[in-house]
Amino acid sequence: MKTIYTFGGVAPLTCHAFSADQRQIALSKNNNQVEIHEQSGSGPNGDKFALKDTLDQHDLRVNGIDWAPQTNRIVTCSADRNAYVWTQQPNGTWKHTLVLLRINRAATCVKWSPKENKFAIGSGARLISICYFEADNDWWLAKHVKKPIKSTITALDWHPNNCLVAAGSSDFKVRVFSGYVKDIEDKPSPTPWGSKMPFAHLMTEFSNSLHGGGWVHAVSFSADGTKLAWAGHDSSLSVADATKGLTIFKLKTAHLPLLSCLWVSPSTIIAAGHDCTPLVFNVDGAGQVSFVSKLEEDKKGDGGPAKFSAKALFQNKDRTGQSEVADTVLNTTHQNQISCIQIVKGNKDRADVISTSGGDGKLVLWDLRTIEKQMKGLKL
Amino acid sequence: MSATLKPYLLAVKRTLQASMCLENFSSQKVEKHNKPMIEVKESPELLLNPVIISRNEKERVLIEPSINSIRVSIAIKQADEIEKLLCHKFMGFMMRRAENFIILRRKKIEGYDISFLITNFHTEEMYRHKLIDFVIHFMEEIDKEISEMKLCVNSRARICAEEFLKRF
Amino acid sequence: MSKNTSSSAFRRIDVDQFNEDNFKDEAELPAHGEAGSPAASQLDSGPIMSLIQGGQPAEALKTILAHAPMGSTKAQEEKDAALQLVLKVLLSVKQQSQVENLVKQLDNDQRDTLMKYIYRGFETPSEGSSAHLLLWHEKVYEVAGVGSIVRVLSDRTKV
Repeated sequence: MKTIYTFGGVAPLTCHAFSADQRQIALSKNNNQVEIHEQSGSGPNGDKFALKDTLDQHDLRVNGIDWAPQTNRIVTCSADRNAYVWTQQPNGTWKHTLVLLRINRAATCVKWSPKENKFAIGSGARLISICYFEADNDWWLAKHVKKPIKSTITALDWHPNNCLVAAGSSDFKVRVFSGYVKDIEDKPSPTPWGSKMPFAHLMTEFSNSLHGGGWVHAVSFSADGTKLAWAGHDSSLSVADATKGLTIFKLKTAHLPLLSCLWVSPSTIIAAGHDCTPLVFNVDGAGQVSFVSKLEEDKKGDGGPAKFSAKALFQNKDRTGQSEVADTVLNTTHQNQISCIQIVKGNKDRADVISTSGGDGKLVLWDLRTIEKQMKGLKL
Repeated sequence: MSATLKPYLLAVKRTLQASMCLENFSSQKVEKHNKPMIEVKESPELLLNPVIISRNEKERVLIEPSINSIRVSIAIKQADEIEKLLCHKFMGFMMRRAENFIILRRKKIEGYDISFLITNFHTEEMYRHKLIDFVIHFMEEIDKEISEMKLCVNSRARICAEEFLKRF
Repeated sequence: MSKNTSSSAFRRIDVDQFNEDNFKDEAELPAHGEAGSPAASQLDSGPIMSLIQGGQPAEALKTILAHAPMGSTKAQEEKDAALQLVLKVLLSVKQQSQVENLVKQLDNDQRDTLMKYIYRGFETPSEGSSAHLLLWHEKVYEVAGVGSIVRVLSDRTKV
């Protein structure tokens, strides 16, 4: 079952993040503002979102939003090279604190660590800022991870141990760095990715493709942190397993490139991108990745199968002798690329509801449990 | 419609679908800038391989994709001098009004007759599949338009000649 | 003011190229197929030609695609020779159903490589070749999907 929300206008939604109770959503409509919408009423689904607050501090397009569930803080980053941490005041308004990022290019993505005591920001300055709160000076400080990043950081994800951070970049590489800040936390215990974790240490590095090429659009650690999945611009989805000697299993799909991927169970990945519909992938015991199905069935009946729109287009022309282009509608819920997938209910071990947003300004909630029942042979 | 036009347009359409996967991408060289990478070419890793699809020796399409923009250049069939002249004038007319056509480029790429520049801002504003349909539609119409114009010119010339020769 | 300032040439110097963080293409990327053994990457046109003439285009195509010279380590002449061979095979298959069958016999990687050769074939159109390549393009697309075109665009090792 899916629920579609729109937020006025058709401007693309750059990114979105839900609050811990899922009643509020922070989103950016491809501009410099972050809007907070709240669901009214008591029903769990189907209620409209209403604009509650606007976080207006950035100068340029907002590139990343993350909402920390336990501490109820929002962090936003933008192409104006700044990031702000927003904390809610007792009267419900949001107060911003500037983060000293010390970068001179756009900040592209942001992610709270699992313990929410620090966050990572990727940027076009070819570095990752690991930011943490320094109580003495009452500000957020950043430490830089620089080498050997050769291009813009496009995606980030934290390992569940709160120390390792995976970064995808447009130099066709996925890297796992240590983000251990010794000032604020205890020494981490060894992981399959390595046992020594001094700050900014490059734990491992993967190339997206043997042939080179393919910007990395998304990275995601599995729930137990042993597997790392990423999506590349060569329409591939790869999974590297640390417990199997860092072997990479790569699936070259027959679809358009994926922009976002997410583990929804220990053996299932949901990914979406330029194909406008979420795709389900399975990772079996041996680590092989395989494509299962789309998350929605092709709509039938309304105006013929749009799947073969090109064929229908030419057939139509052939028949009628006219070259008027028919008004084509994609037979997917989203009409433009999906750029963001988030878990709304559940976690990476077992997600119940996920949300997708993208270029058509729609936010869609997918109830995986009911979808599982509706679609035969689909296990999520 | 001739036999090769259909597969030709289909191949162009599919290649456009594959290459028009754009995203917003800020410059990593100049701060606070956001420029079409295919034009500024500031970093080699942000460009994809350019491809050509040809129908015959004269008609072909060059597609140059990058992370946030693609450039589509079209070489149009020109069988004789009149078609060459018509094509040149017609394309010049359009390129001088490029901003009215939104995705048209003001200058063509060497060796081609007309170029489009499509950026992520266009794909955000407009549906991608409709942009692709537009380019395909354009390619279909342009051939027709030029042959129609050629017929007009020819028939006009005939009338002129007839009128002129009536005197003798 | 020195008179050098009237020159504007210095404005055109690309200072960013000296940035040590710049991305550089990796020179050594392993050739695919039976990588490693140098003999595997050698393409011998003789047996392939006899395969074509003997009416076994499928075998010929598989052989070439498995040993296709790729990447910057290969000489351009070698790549061009391989392209000519592939084109010969492709153009020798005339029937539409035969093309379909052939494409289905290949594996995914081979189809991706074939797609790269088709696009390279488009770059040098000759009498009637484009029309035939368009047919191949259509058939490979029907089996391998749009992903194969995406990989033609994104892979940095060229055929």
